[in-house]
Amino acid sequence: MNIALAGNPNTGKTSLFNILTGSYEYVGNWTGVTVEKKVGVLKSKRGQLIDLPGIYSLNPLSQDEGVATQFLLSEEFSSILNIVDASQLERNLYLTVQLLEYGKPIIMGLNMTDVARGRGYIVDEQQLASLLGIPVLPIVARSGKGCDELEAFLAKGSDVKSEPLHIDYGATLEKAIHELGSLLPESFELPKRWMALQFFEGNTVVCKRLEKHVDYERLTALAQETERAVCQEAGASSLPHHIRHVRSRFILGICEQVITRTKHIDYTLSERIDRITTHSWFGIPIFLLLMFFTFKLTFDWLGTPLSDWLDGFITGPVRDTLSNALYAVGASAFIRAAVLDGIVTGVGGVLVFIPQIFILFFLISFIEDSGYMARVAMVMDRLMQAIGLNGKAFIPMIIGFGCNVPGVMAARTIEQPKERLLTILLTPLMSCSARLPVYSLFVGIFFVKNEALVVLSMYVLGVVVALLLAKLFSGTILKQEGSMFLIELPPYRFPQGRTLLRSTWEKGKGFVRKAGTLIFGGSVVIWFLSYAGPGGLGVDMQESFLAMIGGVLAPLLIPLGFGTWEAGAALLTGFLAKEVVVASMNIIYAAPDTTTLQGLLAGHFTALQAYSFMAFILLYVPCIATVGVIRKESGSPRWMWFSIGYALAIAYLISVIIYQGGKLLGFQ
Amino acid sequence: MCLTDIKPGEKVKITGTTNMAENVRRRLLDLGIMEGTVVCIKRILPFGGPMTLEAGGQWIGIRRREASAIRVEAV
Repeated sequence: MNIALAGNPNTGKTSLFNILTGSYEYVGNWTGVTVEKKVGVLKSKRGQLIDLPGIYSLNPLSQDEGVATQFLLSEEFSSILNIVDASQLERNLYLTVQLLEYGKPIIMGLNMTDVARGRGYIVDEQQLASLLGIPVLPIVARSGKGCDELEAFLAKGSDVKSEPLHIDYGATLEKAIHELGSLLPESFELPKRWMALQFFEGNTVVCKRLEKHVDYERLTALAQETERAVCQEAGASSLPHHIRHVRSRFILGICEQVITRTKHIDYTLSERIDRITTHSWFGIPIFLLLMFFTFKLTFDWLGTPLSDWLDGFITGPVRDTLSNALYAVGASAFIRAAVLDGIVTGVGGVLVFIPQIFILFFLISFIEDSGYMARVAMVMDRLMQAIGLNGKAFIPMIIGFGCNVPGVMAARTIEQPKERLLTILLTPLMSCSARLPVYSLFVGIFFVKNEALVVLSMYVLGVVVALLLAKLFSGTILKQEGSMFLIELPPYRFPQGRTLLRSTWEKGKGFVRKAGTLIFGGSVVIWFLSYAGPGGLGVDMQESFLAMIGGVLAPLLIPLGFGTWEAGAALLTGFLAKEVVVASMNIIYAAPDTTTLQGLLAGHFTALQAYSFMAFILLYVPCIATVGVIRKESGSPRWMWFSIGYALAIAYLISVIIYQGGKLLGFQ
Repeated sequence: MCLTDIKPGEKVKITGTTNMAENVRRRLLDLGIMEGTVVCIKRILPFGGPMTLEAGGQWIGIRRREASAIRVEAV
């Protein structure tokens, strides 16, 4: 049993998905479409749930919207779970109508009934169910209310109606629908009426599919002819407009019967908050202040003390226990060195940053869930327009502060293809949480008094470089026309603890998993390369393979201020994941804990060199996971190579400017 | 009269969106905003920045250039 989960954006689909499946089972690709789908196994183990991207209509405008239509056209599934926002019933039903016309069994999850009630709407779900002829189950996905009943209903797999909805679109259009249907072969595997309606509505995905059976000229001729006749008959401005109008009338009729208004919508609180957050002068400063506060909390107030404690725990009790255990089982010197100097030092050196990273993810989740994100896009739009992007491009960038991978994926919501590509290419310049351990390490030595400020300067550097490059690229290689900006501003809401913890974990678990896989493996390899050399095993580090490899890069890095083999080797490993740089340094400098490493680094770097190094780490290449997702999202290896190439060039340039410029100004 | 001629707080009815780029028009349609919809301007950001509209209980941010392509009449 495969159930597709469909609904408008921002209706709580993902929350419901997580509740019904427990967790993400796997992530894969659609046939032929390079967009991610999420598939989860229902908790009852009775079937799979497929999470489709949020859409307003089956007629796609941006790429992620095409996925849902593509799904209906080419995938096997038994029913659709349509999640509907009760507080925006009229708008949400538009998609429902299109799904009902398709004719597969549908179950409606009527979500946000609490929000609807708060705004003065009471929806009579029984009446709605009988009018649409489908089961309607009220839920509150955010708190989990009603989800057990929904789950039980799905598990039961009860057969629900599969008769397609039939709305009368007027004699002319009905005739055309019939005519198009007759052009299709008898064995046509998709609902003909639905295909015809979608085609007349201008659905390009459906049109492509029809072209396999009916030639293009015939189709366009039919569409034009019908449009002319319908406009004459119904006085509509276009055929899609007419279809929209008929459906809207149908929906309005339903809404009148099922909605009771108890009071008029109260946007007063949101309006009051907006007056401050989107203030003419203070909008941008408030945003910057909020970001500064976020970093202060992550580094100074909360994150650093926790990280220090964890560091003490790993290098103390954990290391000692392991060491004793290894002695007890009589492990060889080689194994002991591999575990203690390789794995514990490498993985432990990264794990200590877990508190800081989770705090950052928590704060980003808070911003995402509160409704403020859309306001940031609003406030930033004017600036973004000037550099050839739109305000929405700022959202992937903020998400990129957590991790570049979901950041690059979030660019899908941008309608304009070139703006989207530009955002994909520039999001990796956002300083993700994996770069954070590197900053933490260095600011702890060289910038003790201004930790948060120096780290903030890295984030700002990333954003400024991204904006400047956006201006450059949008005026040269990615010239574009038809830039647009249109964004929904949801009412503010106070994020719920459970949702917050959940999405923090969803984001942060990747970091933990990386520590167990990539960083674990990387640490072993780096340790081995530092342990072995042309002279055999257990050589002096200076004579190791790692020193030889790093030594090749070192001369190139001299103008940047860190022309040592140690820096070269650490940078090379950073391509795996940026936090591996810290793991490498721990191993290279043979430092058992962060404090010792900091003491050692103080002798190898000056403050200026450290700053130049941090800037280089920020910009130099996206990590391997980000490169992979850029390849997938841009759909071309060319853009992937471009993202690596331009990043290397700009990192080199900026670091040279910082180091040489800093020296001229008399910094050390 | 177009949408950008309206002061914040005033209510108007949309009479035409034909001058508008197709993708913007479609997105507005998705949000249920079309000819006949009553809208109200909530906020206008400075330096030619975007504006906030209220329509049917939802708020939407839109660029001023796009808003200037929406013909409206007083209600």
